Amino acid sequence: MQWWTLFQKELIENMRNVKWIWVPLIMILIAIMDPLTNYYLPQIIEATGGMPEGAKIQLPDYQPSDVVMMSLGQFNTIGVLIIALISMGTIAGERKNGVSELILVKPVSYLNYITAKWASFVLLTLVSFSMGMLASWYYINLLFGELSLVALLHILFFYGLWLMLVVSLSIFYNTLFKTPGLVAFLTISTIVLMGAVTTVFSHILEWSPSRITNYIQKMIVTGNVPSDLAGAAIVTLSTIVLLIAASVVAFRKKELAS
Amino acid sequence: MALLTVENLSKQYDNSLVVNQTSFQFESGKCVALIGPNGAGKTTTLRMLSGLLKPTSGTITFDDMKQNADIRGNIGYLPQHPVFFKWMTGQEFLIYVGRLANLSKQEAESRAERLLDCVGLTESAKRRIGKYSGGMKQRLGIAQAMIHQPKLLILDEPVSSLDPIGRRDVLTLMEELKKDMTILFSTHILSDADEVSDELLLLHEGRIVESGSMTELRDKYQTAKIELGFDGDLHKYKEQITDLPAVTDCYIERDLLHVNIQDMAAARHNILAIASAQEWPLTSFAINRASLEDMFMKAVNG
Repeated sequence: MQWWTLFQKELIENMRNVKWIWVPLIMILIAIMDPLTNYYLPQIIEATGGMPEGAKIQLPDYQPSDVVMMSLGQFNTIGVLIIALISMGTIAGERKNGVSELILVKPVSYLNYITAKWASFVLLTLVSFSMGMLASWYYINLLFGELSLVALLHILFFYGLWLMLVVSLSIFYNTLFKTPGLVAFLTISTIVLMGAVTTVFSHILEWSPSRITNYIQKMIVTGNVPSDLAGAAIVTLSTIVLLIAASVVAFRKKELAS
Repeated sequence: MALLTVENLSKQYDNSLVVNQTSFQFESGKCVALIGPNGAGKTTTLRMLSGLLKPTSGTITFDDMKQNADIRGNIGYLPQHPVFFKWMTGQEFLIYVGRLANLSKQEAESRAERLLDCVGLTESAKRRIGKYSGGMKQRLGIAQAMIHQPKLLILDEPVSSLDPIGRRDVLTLMEELKKDMTILFSTHILSDADEVSDELLLLHEGRIVESGSMTELRDKYQTAKIELGFDGDLHKYKEQITDLPAVTDCYIERDLLHVNIQDMAAARHNILAIASAQEWPLTSFAINRASLEDMFMKAVNG
């Protein structure tokens, strides 16, 4: 099947350029950075020379829910950046260097071409993110107290949706522009802008995808899925579908050679 | 019935009309050369045929398909500068594009093997394409264009960027291929077109200025011309020849006396008669056939 051929090629490509190694490693690193540094902060201060005589340091007493939010906070910044960087050239780069001239003159369906690329990056992103969160979960349970498996699964699901949206945005811009750097810039700008707009109009945009992180915090504290989180999830999912559809339409209208 | 019919095809970029109301058609089994100087619109035309560019206006009809239908499954296309995935091996790439053209896994594998053999890349099949030379890439490019046994093979400047050895390889390959498939290729090197093609399309500033088979064009543009070589100074004979009946004019170029004539038989007789009567030291006497260059210049300049 053509879709599977395209998807497999993406997997092999990301295997050979070792994205399947370094992306999970970085995601694990950023996920466990905050739990570890916060727990070991007193020892770290001690080791680097200690506090001046008489100075006292009051460390807050972190709850598991606080720490897991720190990990997610890292994904909100560095995580998004990495996703934008690894996916910025997947279509744009192929068009820029001309290899798409060979691929797209074969009877390739644009829907297959775009969704296969999307799926391969969604898979890489979600696997890496899940590995990171698993590692974070392990240290939280070890160092800060219990965070239930159910809570973790909920986090993986809802935050995973948010990351899928980032991938979809990047794929969308990939179909519009031929410069990978521009694609990454626009992806990140859009995420930042979306966050800003959501903050300003927070009373109207209750189901904005940007608020998924806030609602996840609420969910961990209360133990139930807030209805707004479900709403934001539905909006996110619809946006993803729309972005993919728009990408296919945009690609059909595009001149594939210059 | 024509395999490919192009009618009033145009492509406009901003204010420049790169391809201007071009129409042509050819039948199955031909090897057609699209000839024109750089910037004539050859690549743009071929890209429109392959579906990479959308025509501003005009129609492309393939075989018995509908006008402007998606004909990608029926054509194989080699761009001017083919770029591959450097991390794939030649064999992997062929199987990959074969699968994209909806061949089964077994079919793709066996076609890939045969094509690698056909273009002489069997030994490099398992090497990364990043390590291939220019000629090898061009041959791999032709192989990938043929993987799904297209009815029409479109090659954009298949030999222009190659060194003499690579050029010879590809031309030989094309001679082989034209026995069982239709080929449309572009070139600005006229001798290449002369060598392999049966039909010519002369493209100039986005228009087809002339078309036809090699012999048709030869007949049409045949200039009656005789070239004479002499031992010694040519200028002595120039005036005498110009004064002969049936000769229109005469000029010296590259140590040869070029004689334009009206009537071949009369001119030949007159020249040979005076040459033998005055014992001219002739070293060569040649009746010249119009070269593709001459035809092209004439067609372009009207």
